[in-house]
Amino acid sequence: MSLESYAAGLVWAIPLISSLFVPAIGRYSEKIRNYFTVSVAATTAVLALLLVPSVWFSNGEAAIFNLNWLPGIAAGVYLDPLSVLFTCLVAFFGLIIVVYSLGYMKGEEGLSRYYFLILLFIGSMIALVLSDNLLQMFIFWEMVGLCSYALVSFWYKKPESIHSGVKVFIMTRIGDICLLAAIGILFFMFGTFSFYDIIGGLESEVIAGTLDVGLLVTVAFLVLGGAVAKSAQFPLFTWLYSAMEAPTSVSALLHAATMVKAGIYLLSRFILVFSVAPILLVALQETWFPVVTWIGVITAFIGAALGLFTTDIKGVLAYSTVSQLGFIMAGLGTAVAGAASMGWFASLFHMVSHAFFEGLGFLLAGGIILALKTRDMRLMGGLRKAMPYTFVLALIMVLTAGGLPPFASFFSKSLIIACVSEVGTTSGLIQTILVYATAALTFAYCVRLLSLVFMGEQSPFVERISVKEAPKIMLAPAAVLAVLCVIWGVSEPVVADFLHVVVGVSLFEAFVSLEFPIFMGLLVSVFILAYWSYYRGFWGIRRIAAGKNPLTILLEHKFFLDDVGYGIVKWIEKLSVGSLHVDGGLNRFYGYLGRGIVVLSRGVMGLDDLLTRLMDYFGGLFVRACLLLYRIPLKTFQNYIAAVIVGVILIVVILYLAGAL
Amino acid sequence: MVYALLAVFAIPTISIIFVYLTGKKSPKAAALFVAAIAIINILLVLSTVPSVISNPDHRYIESYPWISVILGSSFTLFADGVSLSLAIVSLILILAASLFSITYMAGKKRLPAYYALLCMLSVGLVGVFLTSNLLLFYFCWELMLIPAYFIVGEWGYRDAYKQAFKLLLYTHAGAVFVLLSIGAIYWLTGALDMFTARDSLLALALPDAAKWLLIALTGGFAVKMAVVPLHMWLPDAHSEAPAPMSALLSGVIISAGAYAILRLSLGMVFPAVGIEFGTDFLHALAIVGVLSAFFGALIALVSTDIKRLIAYSSIAHMGYVLFGLSLFPSDAAAGVAVLFASSIALTGTVLQIISHALSKGLLFITAGAVMHQTDERDIRKMGGLASKMPFTAAVSIIAALSIAGLPPFACFISELLIFIGAIQVMLLDQFYLVPTFLMLVITVISLAYMLRFILNIFFSSKPEVAEPVAENTEVKKTSGVSNWMKLSFVILAVLIILIGIYPAFFINLIQTVHFG
Repeated sequence: MSLESYAAGLVWAIPLISSLFVPAIGRYSEKIRNYFTVSVAATTAVLALLLVPSVWFSNGEAAIFNLNWLPGIAAGVYLDPLSVLFTCLVAFFGLIIVVYSLGYMKGEEGLSRYYFLILLFIGSMIALVLSDNLLQMFIFWEMVGLCSYALVSFWYKKPESIHSGVKVFIMTRIGDICLLAAIGILFFMFGTFSFYDIIGGLESEVIAGTLDVGLLVTVAFLVLGGAVAKSAQFPLFTWLYSAMEAPTSVSALLHAATMVKAGIYLLSRFILVFSVAPILLVALQETWFPVVTWIGVITAFIGAALGLFTTDIKGVLAYSTVSQLGFIMAGLGTAVAGAASMGWFASLFHMVSHAFFEGLGFLLAGGIILALKTRDMRLMGGLRKAMPYTFVLALIMVLTAGGLPPFASFFSKSLIIACVSEVGTTSGLIQTILVYATAALTFAYCVRLLSLVFMGEQSPFVERISVKEAPKIMLAPAAVLAVLCVIWGVSEPVVADFLHVVVGVSLFEAFVSLEFPIFMGLLVSVFILAYWSYYRGFWGIRRIAAGKNPLTILLEHKFFLDDVGYGIVKWIEKLSVGSLHVDGGLNRFYGYLGRGIVVLSRGVMGLDDLLTRLMDYFGGLFVRACLLLYRIPLKTFQNYIAAVIVGVILIVVILYLAGAL
Repeated sequence: MVYALLAVFAIPTISIIFVYLTGKKSPKAAALFVAAIAIINILLVLSTVPSVISNPDHRYIESYPWISVILGSSFTLFADGVSLSLAIVSLILILAASLFSITYMAGKKRLPAYYALLCMLSVGLVGVFLTSNLLLFYFCWELMLIPAYFIVGEWGYRDAYKQAFKLLLYTHAGAVFVLLSIGAIYWLTGALDMFTARDSLLALALPDAAKWLLIALTGGFAVKMAVVPLHMWLPDAHSEAPAPMSALLSGVIISAGAYAILRLSLGMVFPAVGIEFGTDFLHALAIVGVLSAFFGALIALVSTDIKRLIAYSSIAHMGYVLFGLSLFPSDAAAGVAVLFASSIALTGTVLQIISHALSKGLLFITAGAVMHQTDERDIRKMGGLASKMPFTAAVSIIAALSIAGLPPFACFISELLIFIGAIQVMLLDQFYLVPTFLMLVITVISLAYMLRFILNIFFSSKPEVAEPVAENTEVKKTSGVSNWMKLSFVILAVLIILIGIYPAFFINLIQTVHFG
């Protein structure tokens, strides 16, 4: 056992186990609890960094730390550049958020529960990406869902946060079903849950020529279903906006930087697995990859459109997350050649830059919400004077999100756009146009956010409450992210080297490529448009946005996806009530059955009674007749004769009757 | 231990009278007496584990002479991986129920009789799992019913004797079919040992007779298991019973029905019916299972009575179990693949019985604690109890999340195994495509009703009720949840989490049993 093997086990075991101690320590002292949480998060981050060299400088794929957990199923750790990249991201963001929470959550009730869940989440998420088998991954996949639910419903006294928690949980559960089905089929095909053995099985079946490609394509679609729900893609993205009821620190960690990336991880992992079978990749190219791209492109576009419309500051960031996740998905859809293709790298690269700038956005929004006690941007305005540091950091965030050079997103997003535009089919052309449009919309909602919140005169609402700059403990983590936003983009070659990917283009080429002028032209025109519409009231864009027309109705109802969902829920409720009626009916049926039996019994009893009475009556009659006969004085001969004749007749009749019968 | 299983029978049987006498002096001492017996019995049952694992046929058997007039009716006790696991779980629930009763039943009348009946129940309950003699099995099967009737009737809530009568009537009506079938088996084969009977039935090759036996036995057990449409006794009896009894009823007594289907219907008669009818029969089981699961889950989604909600969820879970049982290998001869797939599913099913027993037991006794503290049973009128009863809330949420099938709790693992098995069987037998899909949908509904349960009782969101209700339910009793109650919660909660994280103990035991 080398150092890395210990680190690979400890990096998720430490936060998971430590989380259990948080409530106990919290009961003793809040301060010690906070220090404890921060030190656990820091230890986790250091351990995650220790994993980097082992996969960077070696050819770096190792499954280690096998524990016989279920019979025949070993629990283990899978180390490769992909899993270590995610591990580092989660551990690093965990630390950032724990520190930020010291300021943001100060004075809240139930903080022991909060830190417990945060550590539980960090541990589960790292365990998810490091799992070497599907079963283990699925368990932690569910665990992060559970943490997400508990954290969204953190303020359990607010009805809407409870409601949102339920919605988030149930919607993501739909994806879990798909994933479970995919895991079941893979287990059927290869008799194992382990990634290693599945890859081995694929390779040997390719050689033997016995690969069931059709079934594997089904698996790929089921996996996609899991990723769509978890990573908030069309048509299941609406839960992400509801999840904004969570504390903003949670939104930053779970719903921007890490948990929603679980679906991306899943897809990139499966693309790696699938790429060992070229015949399978060919089959997937026809159906699966285009569907992934389409889902990504549509999600990106819808998310950006909704981001431009909403007045909720966290709403903008939530839809921006949806939209950026769409970009990442679209990039993965072009990774038709597995890890060797540019799309795979571009997506992961953008995934990290998105974590940085969106995380930064959430951290700043948290400070603003804490100061203003509202999420409505219409009440804000002119905050740049009251919150100068926040403004500077927000400027960096907006420029990064918008994709301006030399910030991170410029490099990563243009890579994705290049990948999509290289698809080269007719639908690829439409996709390219949509992607460019989305990039323009992205910049537009960023500028709008900046204008509404920071620019212009101070709004009456802001003037009324004296707004103070966010505390240092909240600004420091944000500043770290801002620095990363600046340097992440230019570190592209290092990242590519780490992921063992050969990038076709150098950094400089991003500036001289064909996309660059189109992209810049779009951004400049968007900026001019936004400037005119928001500052000059030009073109009546505001009027269009304020009026009632098909566009605003569509946006207001979030493309009616939520209504469909609620419709289904209503339908299930109706079904439940129906079942209750059936239940009552059955109950009544058995009741009637019982009553029928009682009636029958009564009838039998009555019959019995009647028979008894009849018997009594006739018996009495008989006895009386006998007595009568006994008393008749047999005086005369005629009487004897008469009696004998009557008796004979009676006997004859009886015999006759008996014979006839 | 040579007489381990005999002692498991004898100790509680002899103790019934002493429990009663102790109860006269102090009901608490009687409760602890019952708990101590349960612990001793758990240890005795556990002592057979090494021989079950090491014996070549993975069975541990003790046989004593019994009724000599009837041929073959020996007092045969046996333990294999499945029966042993279920016996242990039953005893754990008896232990938890008796500890919980100390506070919960305090102040009620005729407590000596209550604890004596509880002790008697444990004899029948464990006996059902630990015998291979059909006559003894039936004896225990009925012995389970009598104490249940009196406990529900005497110490229940509304209309208790009426509900108890319903319980008695339904399950006894089912038992009639069981007795008839046992008689028929004896008549046909002359054997009363279930393993001998299995081989003789197979050798006799009477598929038509076997068909009727299979149907009669399964129907009889299905009443106990309370699958739709034979479930009508369950919601009433379970919701009106005192909480510890509800925990036992919902936890293990209905599971005994599932065990009996697995052991007698499927394990004994099924091989003799032939592949064609067998496959149809399994498909029918799957359909009934899905129906029960849907029915129970949907009604639980709208129930407002705290205990009825849990009772309907039991119906849903018996649906899962029945669905799992329907994955029994029907054409084992066809190949290793079927056996392998079914073995995963059936391991999951037995584990599901275990985890459901623990989780549902815990859920029922925590609900009992809530009712005990608030004198309220309408979940719409509850709310905000998490801050007032934090300990109860925490364990109740563990139980509820386990029932909803979330990691790291017990039911997650078992449902996962069932589904993985089901998906594999599905790829071999197309019929299972729709049932498996529907069962997967039910997992979402079960999450929904359990969340609704948690939110309504322990938190204070009232989205579905229009009229204003109290923000927080008042906790009326000042005594609080006693440490005995907490102890019973902790025993179950720890086991739920242990199975959820490391289920190897039970899975290793269950997998020693050869299904099919």
